[in-house]
Amino acid sequence: MSDVDTRPGAILKNNLWTSNPIFMQVLGICSALAVTNLLTNTAIMTIGVTFVTGFSNLTVSLLKKFMPRKVRMMVQTLIIAFYVIIVDIVLKAYLPEISRNLGPYVGLIITNCIIMGRAEAFAQSNDPIPSLWDGVTSGLGYMGVLMVIAVFRELLGFGTLFGFQILPDAFVPWTIMVMPPSAFFLLGIIIWVGKAAMNREGAPA
Amino acid sequence: MTPAITPFSLLFASIFTSNILLANFLGMCSFISISKDMKSSNGLGLAVTMVLTVTTAVNWLILQLLQTLGLVYLRYIVFIIVIAAVVQMLEMIIDRVSQTLYMNLGIFLPLITVNCAILGVSLFMEIRNYSFIQSVVYGLGSGLGWWLAIMALSAIRKKVEKAPVPPGLKGAGITMIIIGFMAMAFIGFGGMLQVQ
Amino acid sequence: MNKEGTLYTVVFIFIVSFAFVFLLSMTNQATIERVRLNEEIARQSAVLSAMGVEATTVEEIREEFARIASDEEEGLFAGRIDGRTVYAKEMSGSGLWGGIFGFLAVTADIQTFVGIEIVDDNETPGLGGRINEPWFKEQFESQRIPDDGITVRAGEADPERGIVDGITGATATSNAMQSIINRTVEQFRSPEIRARLEELAAQLASGGEV
Repeated sequence: MSDVDTRPGAILKNNLWTSNPIFMQVLGICSALAVTNLLTNTAIMTIGVTFVTGFSNLTVSLLKKFMPRKVRMMVQTLIIAFYVIIVDIVLKAYLPEISRNLGPYVGLIITNCIIMGRAEAFAQSNDPIPSLWDGVTSGLGYMGVLMVIAVFRELLGFGTLFGFQILPDAFVPWTIMVMPPSAFFLLGIIIWVGKAAMNREGAPA
Repeated sequence: MTPAITPFSLLFASIFTSNILLANFLGMCSFISISKDMKSSNGLGLAVTMVLTVTTAVNWLILQLLQTLGLVYLRYIVFIIVIAAVVQMLEMIIDRVSQTLYMNLGIFLPLITVNCAILGVSLFMEIRNYSFIQSVVYGLGSGLGWWLAIMALSAIRKKVEKAPVPPGLKGAGITMIIIGFMAMAFIGFGGMLQVQ
Repeated sequence: MNKEGTLYTVVFIFIVSFAFVFLLSMTNQATIERVRLNEEIARQSAVLSAMGVEATTVEEIREEFARIASDEEEGLFAGRIDGRTVYAKEMSGSGLWGGIFGFLAVTADIQTFVGIEIVDDNETPGLGGRINEPWFKEQFESQRIPDDGITVRAGEADPERGIVDGITGATATSNAMQSIINRTVEQFRSPEIRARLEELAAQLASGGEV
């Protein structure tokens, strides 16, 4: 990955589309799929992930000169855990309601494969600023896909978006959309649409 | 307050009705990539079950310590270090005890440290306030449930490989949809747990 | 100094861990008071909501809660709402996955529910977790309390006989709610708690400090 294109525009396109962490690499869905039945929770959760990916990339890149090789993974985990705890504390203090809704899923950001993946694949061998940008855009690519899932799940499962009633009262909510299987179905469909569009563009899928 | 659920119900619930993977979406990363191959799935399932049981027990003890010291906010870091240490130790023990087991499991163990299911079970155990026995049973049950899910999925995937799936849906796409159906099937177990 | 040497590695890990833990404890210290306040507000808001008082902003919650006589140690509350005396009490018990914690409000004669509010539960989202949805909680408003307690059962709602609608597919959670609520009603009816609630109500009537 040393000859990777580090121009900001190229990173943006790469992380948002051509190698989107979710539909091209199917990474890191564990921690966030569970909260996609409500848009607000999804938004806060994915902003948290973006923050952690960005800053842990930045920190890994800053520390890479001083980092002994054999404890590299451990230090990366420590850095990630540090930012996740910051997110957790901030949510508890300023958004208590959402912090309660997200429950243990905030802590699970630590094991989100995208964060560790970006630290290894990009931050370890690039300068701090491009690393920060790479982390943030990876987070945004992740956010995009999960927000689409959340729009469908909340709209059809509760008839609301961000908690505001959108569909008329006569609409009977689809309970399945609130329950876990719908998240798998929607993700499968999104991967399908994404890959099909990419195949048409002629990019290697 | 400790929930009153009996260990038996909890074991049943964590394997079937509230499968860690199908209901809580935990442990997906290695699940998708490994489930292509049944033999590896079996190895990883066993390894996850062992690590889950041990780490949940150890993390429960550590959590009591953190609570007395008022350092609960550091639990994420401490849990993940415990998990890494347990995985490492298990690797050494297996290496001494059985070479064949080591050959089969060895490559999967490092993967497990970053498996969200392991940290997830520890965090659920904390938030639900389980007793020690409940935590161990919950760890064991979640591991068995994960093992069951990955075996079932890899068997289904073997069949699907030969099916005429649209090109865009091949691989990850169709796998997600299969997992969706499995999750629906597992919800059906919900009606069975009324023994409480 | 050799970057891969043992001494360097140990020192490096030590410095990094120390720095991170130090920063975290600073952040934790800085927000600890706010977190405590949030919890207090959430608790007060839940008591008000069980009693049927509308209050959304922090100021409203503080102001309304100040009009209620409370015994925080026992988790007992008494208030005058729309001209009648209403009692509220903490309720807790175990659900399917973990504890369920909330507040139950009844009229002064303990014959009718005023409302319930759930503060914390770990039930399955989309199934047992639906006890937190308004339709479930609203059923208790003005529901008469039968002598042998209420029944929570899915699909058989019959307010006349004291049966409220439970949650389809979540029998364990419905049963848990039934036993938690009935146990709390029993506690309301015990002489000591009743006496304490009457004391609190008397404070209200005399306009004494509350």
